[in-house]
Parts: sequence; C-alpha cells; structure tokens
Amino acid sequence: MAIPEELYPYSGSVNELLARYGVKFGIYKNGVFNEQLFPFDIIPRIIERREFEYLERGLKQRVKALNEFIRDVYSDKKIIADGVIPEDFVYSGSGWLAQCDGVNPPQNIYSHISGIDLVQAKNGEWFILEDNLRIPSGASYPMIARELCRRSAPSVFAENRIEDNRNYAQLLRRTMDYVNTGGLSVILTPGRFNAAYFEHSYFAELTGARLVTCEDLVVEDEHLYFKDYSGKKEQVGAVYRRISDEYLDPVNFNRESLIGVPHVFEIYKKGRVALLNAPGNGAADDKGIYYFVPAMIRYYLHEDPVLNNAPTYLLYYERDMKYVLEHFDSLVIKDVAEAGGYGIIFGDSLSAEKKAEFIDLLKAEPRRFIAQEVIDFKDIDIFDGEAGKRVPRKADFRAFVLMNDEPVVWKSGLTRFSRNPDSFVVNSSQGGGFKDTWVMEE
Amino acid sequence: MRRLRYSYHMELTFELPVNEHHFKLRCFPSSDERQKISYTRIEIYPQHFSTEEPDSFGNMCIFGTARQSHERFSVDVEGTAEIDASGQVAAIPSKTGIFKYETALTKAGKTIREFHRSLDPMNWMTGYERTVYMMNELYPEFRYVPGVTGILTSAEDAFRLRRGVCQDYAQILLALCRLERIPCRYVAGMIPGEGATHAWIDVCDGGVWRGIDPTHNRECDDTYIKISGGRDAQDCAINQGVFYGGGKQTQTVKVIVKIM
Repeated sequence: MAIPEELYPYSGSVNELLARYGVKFGIYKNGVFNEQLFPFDIIPRIIERREFEYLERGLKQRVKALNEFIRDVYSDKKIIADGVIPEDFVYSGSGWLAQCDGVNPPQNIYSHISGIDLVQAKNGEWFILEDNLRIPSGASYPMIARELCRRSAPSVFAENRIEDNRNYAQLLRRTMDYVNTGGLSVILTPGRFNAAYFEHSYFAELTGARLVTCEDLVVEDEHLYFKDYSGKKEQVGAVYRRISDEYLDPVNFNRESLIGVPHVFEIYKKGRVALLNAPGNGAADDKGIYYFVPAMIRYYLHEDPVLNNAPTYLLYYERDMKYVLEHFDSLVIKDVAEAGGYGIIFGDSLSAEKKAEFIDLLKAEPRRFIAQEVIDFKDIDIFDGEAGKRVPRKADFRAFVLMNDEPVVWKSGLTRFSRNPDSFVVNSSQGGGFKDTWVMEE
Repeated sequence: MRRLRYSYHMELTFELPVNEHHFKLRCFPSSDERQKISYTRIEIYPQHFSTEEPDSFGNMCIFGTARQSHERFSVDVEGTAEIDASGQVAAIPSKTGIFKYETALTKAGKTIREFHRSLDPMNWMTGYERTVYMMNELYPEFRYVPGVTGILTSAEDAFRLRRGVCQDYAQILLALCRLERIPCRYVAGMIPGEGATHAWIDVCDGGVWRGIDPTHNRECDDTYIKISGGRDAQDCAINQGVFYGGGKQTQTVKVIVKIM
C-alpha cells in the first residue's frame, strides 16, 4: 500500500504525547543517568501479508530450534557430542550458566519472549541479524504509537486493512498463563531508573499482571509470594522478570547484587514458579552461537532454514580468519560479548595503525569476534518534519516471537532507524528512532 | 580402605544484629565411589527454615532463611568417612566439557602464560600425566604463605605474588590445565590434622576423576575427604548469604580430621 500521507500533520503532536506518556529511554553514560526521548517517525514500515507470512515461517522455525538448543545444552548436550557446534562456543561465552545445568523449566520453555532482529537488503532479501533472548524490549513502543496515531487519524485505520497490534497484551498474558505454576503472574522490574521502565508499567497495565519490584516478593516455605502494603501474601506462579540473570537471586547468582529475590532460583528449579525468560537462556543469543543457528535448525528440526543469517565468518575457523584478513575493509567486526550497538567496528573506518592493532587482537582472541559482510540495507523513508519532506534512512526490524505450545509471531514489531543519514547503527541506546510496523491483512 | 572421623565448624559473628538472613551452605561431604560418608551431627544456628538440594555440580547444599535477629551464625558438621582410594568416580561426558574452560578465577594472564611457555611442550602422555608434570614444575615456583591472598584472589594474581595457600595452588594448576583444555575441577575438602579446609584438583583421566594435591605436590591418597567440586573456588564457596544489618563480620572455620 502507499505511504499514508494523512498522518504527516500529526508527527509533532504524537511525539509530544509520547513524551507525556513517558515513552523514554534511560541511558547511563559515564556514570550519569539521562533520560532521553525515543523519537518516533510517523511513516510506518509496511509489510505486505505474503511477505510477513514468509517471515513468520522463518521466525517460528528459528525460535523453535533455539529453544531446542537451550534445552539440549542444559541436558544431554547432544549437539556438542555430535560435533555440530564446538563446545568452546557453548562454554566460553558469557551466556551458558553452570547453575542452570540440569534444570527443566515449566513446560520446557526457555525463551518465552524472543526479539529477533532482521534487516532487508536492497534486493528485498531479509537477513537475520541477531537473536535477542535474554530480556528483549521494545514491543510497547509500536503499540502505544499505533494507539496515538489511531486517535489522531482514525480514518487511516478504518480505510486500510492493517493487522491490529493491540493483541500483544493478550499474547503476553497467554504466554505467562501457559507456564504459570499456580498463583499470580507478575512483571518484575528493577525500578523506574531502568531504560525500559515505561514498557514494564505499560505491559502490567495491559495484561493485568502486577508490576512488582524485588522487595515485594518473598520466598517462604518453598513458594514465592507477593506481599502487599498490608503484609497480606499471595502466591506467585509466573514472573516475567525484566532484570538480568546475575541480579535475580543473590544467594544463587551474583552475591554482590543489592536487588534480587533470595532463593527464587531454588524454587524455580523445583518447578514451583515459572521465570520468563528462563535463566541461562543467553546460551543461545551469543553472537558466536548465532553463526550456528542454521546448523541448529537442520540438526533439531531436519528442515532447511527459511530465513538466512547475514553472511558471517567465525574467526575461530582458520579458513574464515584468512577470508577476514583478506577482505577486512569490506567487513563489519563485532565483539560477541557486547550488545546495544557497542563493540561494532567497520573495517574501512580504521586508520592503518589502528587496523594493525585490531588485527593483532583478532589473532590473539579469535573466539571473541565475528565478522559479517556489510549488508546494503534497503533504505526506508522517514518524515523530516522541519523540512516537511521524506528522507531515506537505514532501518532494521525487531520481530517478537512468543512461545506457548507453539511459537506465535506478533503481527507488528519494532522498526528502528538511524537518525544519522550515514550510519548503519540503529540502536536506541545510540540515539536511533523508531517506527510502527504495519502488517497488512491482505 | 581407611576410616576417618571429621568435624567441621564454621562461625560468623556480626558486630551488630542481623535479620532476614538468607544462606546457602555447601559444606557437607557426600558419598561416592571413593568415599562413604556418614553423619553424626549437622547443626545450624540460629533457628531457621531450610531445605536440602544438590547444586548443578552435584554438591549437597542446604538453603535456608533465619528471620529472627541474631549476632552469630554457625554450622557444625560431624561424621565419619570411609575412603577407598581405588574407587573410581566416573566423569559423566555431558558434565565434563565445562571443566576445560577458564573462569574469572582460573584465567591465565601474562605471568601464568609465560610460565606455561617455559614448560616442555612434549613432556606428556595423558592429560593426567601432563598435569602431574605441570604440578611438579609449579611446586618449586610457589611458596605456601598464608595471609597474602584472599578467597577472591585469582590464579593470575596469586602467581604474580608467587605466594599463597592451597586455593591458589589449585587454581594456578587449573589455569595451566585449561590452557591445554585438560578437563579438571577444583575440589574443596579436608585432610587429617587440625585447621582450615583444604583444596586440591581432580583431573579427568580416561573417564575417571583422579585427585592430585599441588600444595603438597602429590597424588591424593585415602586420607582426602572431598566436600565439594566445581570450576573454581567460587563454585565451592562454603557459604553464600545475604542479610540485613550486621556491620563488620568475622568468619572462623575449624576442621578436625582424625585417622581412626
């Protein structure tokens, strides 16, 4: 469909409303906490139904295989024994947690909410860029932006057959209920200084789950309870936790953690409460492991991958190392331990001296880096309010896959774009903006 | 076969009262093919609620919460161990791979790598023999001196000081083994005498764990009682706890092992 120009006049007012609703991104930089607005572009990314069905097939397949992989590396480790993935990549990454070895989460689900990042190349082909399984955020932004746009220009949404994205709340609720072991479902937030606090509170409001912080939860008699202001206790059966593994339980993870719920991990191990996403599932979202996802799909599902990875080289393999050294200037190198747009180096951006230095580092720590071909992104237009016209920018797309008995792909998603016309980095922590994503009904 | 009697006492004293004390204790030897453990006493003070559960390395742990205010926290464990040095403890393949890889505490830095390069690369047959060779080479390079290192000191930092205690000997040898991807694990345990707990390492030798003690530069015999095993000292930490209050705290550990 054509770009809905009727929305242009609302660009400013929708952004003002987003600011008023608290759609902000908190960033720590040099030890200082700054909240900044997450700029919204009024032009949606539009994905036609056929195309989305193709993405859906690929995403479901991928998340299924990732879930199988996590189950495997915390139990029999067959994929290692069969030589499909070298154990180095499982054990020397930061994601595999010894504490989780042998633990079966409720319903055997490890990645309940996955955020899969894709990009579209100039020829229209989609590539998977990254799998975010730990605590992927971002679904709330297109939800509230759609809501505000609908209020601003209702006719656009009446006249066009756009898949409604309000159902994310029901999907999320169902995902929590599916694994709930009996009792309340809660959303555990580190608090209002977290970058995604708006999202935590918005989801709580829309799903009916209770928004809690660590001090509201207590483990007693081997069950988890929510304690309200009067001291009354109610059992909790599912925790959609938005704090990372290491801070989850100071008795079982990082003992220096000042937050967390002591003993929650033990009762989780015994199946008395569900934690979404499962602790330790970062074993599958390491950038080194990413390289092996197509192999994983073949190994566990006996299918060919529907969606391809961006062409990736693993410096661990000599053949790949050779290729990378020969084509250094045309590649992008990523540090596997970094996220949020950090630790990314474009080969052609380095001075000769820095380049030599960096190549020494690659040789010394080959396990730490992957190299990828730079994909020539298909530009999509944003509306430049000041100039009153459309300008092209690089953008990616984060699809959300929720796992119940089967994976479900939300028919919307977060499109992030780079505000700098020369940049490929779209992360919100790097000052990028976002768009709504419209999936067409027909 | 040898019979030993052991007693283990750990006490934490707090300057100011603490409450809501959550703890995880990992100081209970368990039976395996090499050692048969029986308990005559397990006592934890103060009053608390607790459960028993093995951790992912199979070490017995007691998890608990003491809610009321207390200024002292203690655990006493007593019992006997029957050790059969020829008993074979199987290294389960799916649980052994992880022991080939460094951890923060067993990461070889510049000093350990330098020392490793000075070793004869050809001098070995099996991973076990290689480890014994490295232990023999390490022994004259490191001095047993208490008080210079702490429980959080890494192998690299300890080796740079060239001084330390059993935990440091064990972690340095682990770091060396892991440079060669020899599966090996840290073992916390007790040996005859009176004092603190001891530490040594297990090396996977043909599918079986075998203990060697770098602090004494010898293979472990039937006087070694294993308490716990893990990737490094932190995996074998005796106590991991959080509480409110307390101010300054002091920990004392007293182990007595007698040959019967």
